[in-house]
Amino acid sequence: MKVELYNYIRAAQKMNRRQMLKGTAALGAAAMLPKGAAQADGHSNVRAEILKIPGVGAGSPTDSDWQKVGEMCLGATKENVAEGEFDGVELTFMGLNNQNLHNFLFRGFLKPWEAYTGAKINWIDLAQADYNARLQQSIATGTVDFDIIEMGAPFEGDVLGRGMASEMPDWVKEQIDMDDYVDYLKAPVGTWGGKTYRVSIDGDCHSFAYRKDYFGDGAIGGAEVPTTWQEINQVTKDLIGKEDPLTGLPAHGYLDPLKGWGGFGFYFLENRAAAYAKHPNSPAWLFDPETMTPMVNNPAWVQAIQDVMDLIEAGAYPADQINADPGTTAFQQFLAGTGSMLMWWGDVGSSARTSDTSVVGDVVGFGINPSSDRVYNAQAGAWEETRNEAPNMAYIGWGVYVMATVDGDEKKKKAAWSAAAHLGGKDLSLWASAYPSGFQPYRNSHFQFEEWEEAGYDRAYIEDYLGSNADSYNHPNAAIEPRIPGIFQYYSVAEDELAKGYAGQYGSAQETADAIAAAWEGITDQIGRDSQIEIYRASLGLS
Amino acid sequence: MSAEGDLLHTVTADHISDARKRLGKAMVWGTALLCVGLALWQTAFELDHVSTGFANWRPVLYAYMLWATALCVAQVMVRGEAGKRTLFVLPAALFVISLVIFPLLFALYISFTDWNLASIQGPQPNGWDNMVQMWNDQFYWNALKNMVYYVLAVGVEYAIAFGLALLLNAQIRARKFFRVVFLLPLMLSPVAVSWMIGKSMLEVRFGPISRIVRELGFEPSFFGTPEMARFMIMAMDAWTFIPFMMIMLLAGLQALPREVIEASKVDGATGWQSFREVIFPLMLPVSVTAIVIRIIFKLKLADIIINVTSGGPGGATDSVTSFIFREYRDRSNVGYGTLLAMVYLVLIIIFVTLLLKLVSRWMERPA
Repeated sequence: MKVELYNYIRAAQKMNRRQMLKGTAALGAAAMLPKGAAQADGHSNVRAEILKIPGVGAGSPTDSDWQKVGEMCLGATKENVAEGEFDGVELTFMGLNNQNLHNFLFRGFLKPWEAYTGAKINWIDLAQADYNARLQQSIATGTVDFDIIEMGAPFEGDVLGRGMASEMPDWVKEQIDMDDYVDYLKAPVGTWGGKTYRVSIDGDCHSFAYRKDYFGDGAIGGAEVPTTWQEINQVTKDLIGKEDPLTGLPAHGYLDPLKGWGGFGFYFLENRAAAYAKHPNSPAWLFDPETMTPMVNNPAWVQAIQDVMDLIEAGAYPADQINADPGTTAFQQFLAGTGSMLMWWGDVGSSARTSDTSVVGDVVGFGINPSSDRVYNAQAGAWEETRNEAPNMAYIGWGVYVMATVDGDEKKKKAAWSAAAHLGGKDLSLWASAYPSGFQPYRNSHFQFEEWEEAGYDRAYIEDYLGSNADSYNHPNAAIEPRIPGIFQYYSVAEDELAKGYAGQYGSAQETADAIAAAWEGITDQIGRDSQIEIYRASLGLS
Repeated sequence: MSAEGDLLHTVTADHISDARKRLGKAMVWGTALLCVGLALWQTAFELDHVSTGFANWRPVLYAYMLWATALCVAQVMVRGEAGKRTLFVLPAALFVISLVIFPLLFALYISFTDWNLASIQGPQPNGWDNMVQMWNDQFYWNALKNMVYYVLAVGVEYAIAFGLALLLNAQIRARKFFRVVFLLPLMLSPVAVSWMIGKSMLEVRFGPISRIVRELGFEPSFFGTPEMARFMIMAMDAWTFIPFMMIMLLAGLQALPREVIEASKVDGATGWQSFREVIFPLMLPVSVTAIVIRIIFKLKLADIIINVTSGGPGGATDSVTSFIFREYRDRSNVGYGTLLAMVYLVLIIIFVTLLLKLVSRWMERPA
């Protein structure tokens, strides 16, 4: 769970003293448990017990909590690994240190695992901004100095596509219960050439956030919340000249980020384009899987760009929107009361009440990516006048991967996979999705709301917010990004060209899209077209 | 006193045998051959001309270090006391050469390859392709054009800095206090400036400057148009670095001979005449130095742009360095990015050389 979400829930449900005492009592009870009982070897109530550590409303978890959870979730490990089996094994784990989460939690979770198995783990902590460069340089210069890596699925093309990762053994698949993953995290995500490599520990998608006070009977945005991009553009234009009901400042509709964000800004054009371009008849919506010809200049994408240009032309955005990146639209605009509709990751929903600059906490609602009245069928080369919905699984989420460097040493390999499986275990992941960890729910079992309710969470909020995520995750037409090498290069160069288009330096949306396509062709040629085609097809599960 | 001979008054008489000299030279040449031989062998291995080789270039590095050590030792063996004197400088010189020449040669090689970190093939020489790409790259030329604007802004910065230096050189109240206050922006990191001012104070909705503008009846938009955005970047950069020029000019003003200025007053010169005819000409060498150094700083302008506008809107604020940053960091396009940097380096060298040549006649104080 994201820190902000946790804080939000705590703030939103206004925990009373009794609930607080329940949590504290549970914590005390857990601490009193005899070691044998605490070593939850798969017994039925381990999930309920770990959710009480430290207890909702009892403050943010600390290292001792992480260690307790790690200890209580060792049952699955013990079924496959004997005590002391990995004596003398040293592993190196490379991951993030964002917000003092990620690796910080992993250390706590794995400490009991180290004590039980006898293995030792060395840590490489990286800031998010350094991650991509470090990983790319390690790969390109052949200096892979880590055995286990926390990695986002978009990099699978770079790592799995080059055969740099170790294939997941069958016993790990059973230990982590992969069937429990939400649909979009199942194959082909995490797999390459039919082999499985990823232990998922997170899920990601963009969801729709809107201001409830803009919509309803007599509201300035209309009676109904818009559900299609066509409606969103119309409402956005209709709001010009009206007054925001909350702030008294000019009202605005949908907030598109018009400035790049190191490649991540392209996800936000994708939100619009997914509804137009992601036809249910094919998983491909960015490149032609036969030739790697960009689809970004087909009529669907051009329509998405045109939608943004129309709003620029109409003067529908707040001032200086041309200099607004996704961070601005979310945290300086939407949460601060500017604009009424936004697509973003989970952070926006969770920050709504906890951020100091947020004024929209009481009036925010959630949904999945808006649909379109029509969809472009790239195979037929024609628009189809049917409603199409395609949530954008932006970034796909974090996973744990074992590098092929361990393959020559069976003991080390088993140790590495055991550590990865422990981190991605079914019970431990429930705790990670319920408390601040940097990770969102990603298993069907995470959406058993009664477990959350029993742990002391407010059911209404959980159902509203997480429900939109669950709907996106399991959507049959989810738009999954291609896990090809250099995917962020494509996004980054697209941002530059889009910025020129939005600034009026290209004659039309089509010219802008053509410029992006030309730049993408250059990148494909540089990286290697044949290998990109092969990897792209593999990433889509086509080969 | 004699100006020739042993000025260091060496006390040790060197009696170096021929055998020792030969051994010293043999060490140097032997290790040099080893180093070159290993380098050639490894190159042949990398190019698949020979079947065996090292897993990496580390052995060649060790051979180079061995040669460097032998070279130092040989100085003493061959030249005795004079060699010892050389040892005070030689290791440092070798170290600098290692860190400048080798990377430069490597960068030169990289800039003529298609190396993209995401490419499975790794770096492949691609002739003049990168150069052709650069020639057709509108983003690069646009960034170069922006650099012209940014460099021209140095003139305005100089005028302001000179004015402030004159003020702080005058007999005003709390002069020392103002000197410290005016220096404060220079002590801030440009990254901090870009966040504090560009992203916070100028934030359109709740930034305090925006609020003032709104109170005055205008709709604030500091980065909405190319001209305005470029001006704001220039202004933030100027705010940071004007104190640097100011402090140099102030030091120059304080070093001016007072008699000359007083003499001009005795001769009846007005304040303006005194400035135009005496102070400004005398300050030319300092002014030129300050401007040249500032231009060199300006050519590296990137951090504020990266943080505030990412080069936008539509590339209007892009500097060459911020563009290379995107090409290199966001796109892992090492080959092309390196070529852009190398070309920019050559352009800077040519520009600064010409500039120094042009201003050389002002660099010395008039007799």
